[in-house]
Amino acid sequence: MNTSKLVSLQILASMIKDGDSLGLGGSLLHRGPFALVRELIRSGRRHLEIIKASPGYDIDILCRAGSVAKARCGIVAMEGQFGFAPWYRKAVENGVLELEEHACATLAAGLRAAAFGVPFQPVAGVHGSDIAKLNNWACISDPYGSGKDCWVIPPIRPDIAVIHAAEATLAGDVRVYGTPHWDRLLTRAAKCVLVTTERLVDEALFAERPEWTLVPRFMTDAVAVVPRGAWPGSCLPFYGVDFQGIESYLANPGEDFLRTHLQNAPETRPEDASMD
Amino acid sequence: MSEDARFTPFAFLVINLARFILPGEITFSGVNSSLPMLACLLAKKSYDFHFTYINVAGGVDAVPASAPLSSSDPQLAVGSCSIFANEDFYDLCCRGRMGLCFLGAAQVDGAGNTNMSCIGDPHSPKVRLPGGGGAAVMLPVAQRAVIWRTEHSTRTLVEKLDFTTAAGGAHGLVTPYAVFEKIGGRLALKYRNKGITPAEVRKRTGFTFDAADAAPVPLPTQRELGALKALDPNGLFAAGAGIRLW
Repeated sequence: MNTSKLVSLQILASMIKDGDSLGLGGSLLHRGPFALVRELIRSGRRHLEIIKASPGYDIDILCRAGSVAKARCGIVAMEGQFGFAPWYRKAVENGVLELEEHACATLAAGLRAAAFGVPFQPVAGVHGSDIAKLNNWACISDPYGSGKDCWVIPPIRPDIAVIHAAEATLAGDVRVYGTPHWDRLLTRAAKCVLVTTERLVDEALFAERPEWTLVPRFMTDAVAVVPRGAWPGSCLPFYGVDFQGIESYLANPGEDFLRTHLQNAPETRPEDASMD
Repeated sequence: MSEDARFTPFAFLVINLARFILPGEITFSGVNSSLPMLACLLAKKSYDFHFTYINVAGGVDAVPASAPLSSSDPQLAVGSCSIFANEDFYDLCCRGRMGLCFLGAAQVDGAGNTNMSCIGDPHSPKVRLPGGGGAAVMLPVAQRAVIWRTEHSTRTLVEKLDFTTAAGGAHGLVTPYAVFEKIGGRLALKYRNKGITPAEVRKRTGFTFDAADAAPVPLPTQRELGALKALDPNGLFAAGAGIRLW
């Protein structure tokens, strides 16, 4: 018999503690665990570390709420026509957020080191970049004598990976549609995997297509069903980006707006968010 | 309207990015890269040769119904017969099989290195920029990398970068006014936009460059302009591109 992994969004968020390092799934405006991020803010979580190659709305709203202390990222932007992530930018410029800048593939190399169980992971490129110096990365020569030098990245092992999925089973098997972004690697590198999902699906359907499953049940610690959990971003195959939602987030810098934004997000109105 | 009148700074940028694509090669557009995305889609519509277009949404020669505002939108995988995701395309690039990738930059120097990180002390930056994304890894290992910049000025095209995010020297650089291509390790002026003299380009460029072979740009073809119109029917990309003239 399988144990159910199902919990509420509130319980899921309570499994994340102040100061935890979080590997967030998705990329920029797409399939990020944005409802969970908002729940962390509503429940007053602080001093978080965010690990994500290309965060946007998620890291920006965490900076806006003062919930994040450290970040390891490759590129941070709101994307589309929206440019900079303004609260993130302010947080770095004011010294409130400590940034460890990566190239996306060096962040992946660190996650691979953790996933592969090795003390470092070689990565191509990087030569001549000031990022390497800034992070005190080592460059080693090929021990097999090719004469080539190679940068090596230390492990990046998030306390918790949080991903937003299209479908999951009660037992915690997880499926996404379209690109998995970095989510597969992220779930292999982290110590714990938490999932929000658009909907639950009978496991017989997963058994028909096991090769479509991104995360198997034994790796998943808990699942919460959160329709529109990636709003205002997109989640295949259910909805696209809510550009007006992003616009209004950026156009209203007041604290009142942030409160309203958090109070009125889809996960606070499950009856409206549920899908046909 | 005459063809050259429609060669706006925006069209100049997109079409000249597209013209870097070579027959048979693998070409890539990434996150936060609307103009390279448009260039790749435009090349598919305008040129008769085959090339492989992969993108950050996992699409391989996808056929999206329209160009999405977000250059990483899942729509960019519509019609694709596979999802070639992040780990796959970075590894492909790292093992030397990426023919051409397009990279953004806040600052570019005359050797084709870029800054996308910060202005001022990196530990306490005056301006925190978005970051280079894949650039520090991709620029040195892609067969060719072409930089795109929507502002052509002495603060964006600089003699010395505030910070080197990605080194290795890009093959080309396209701005709304000029196309540079690497000759002997330095970016040299190849084309200038219509009505722009080499002296004007020099005045607005912070790095020194060779202009011996510079020529007026070949005018856009009907197919190029038609494809751009089809990709941006309401001018949303043109309006939102943040093109800044000197």
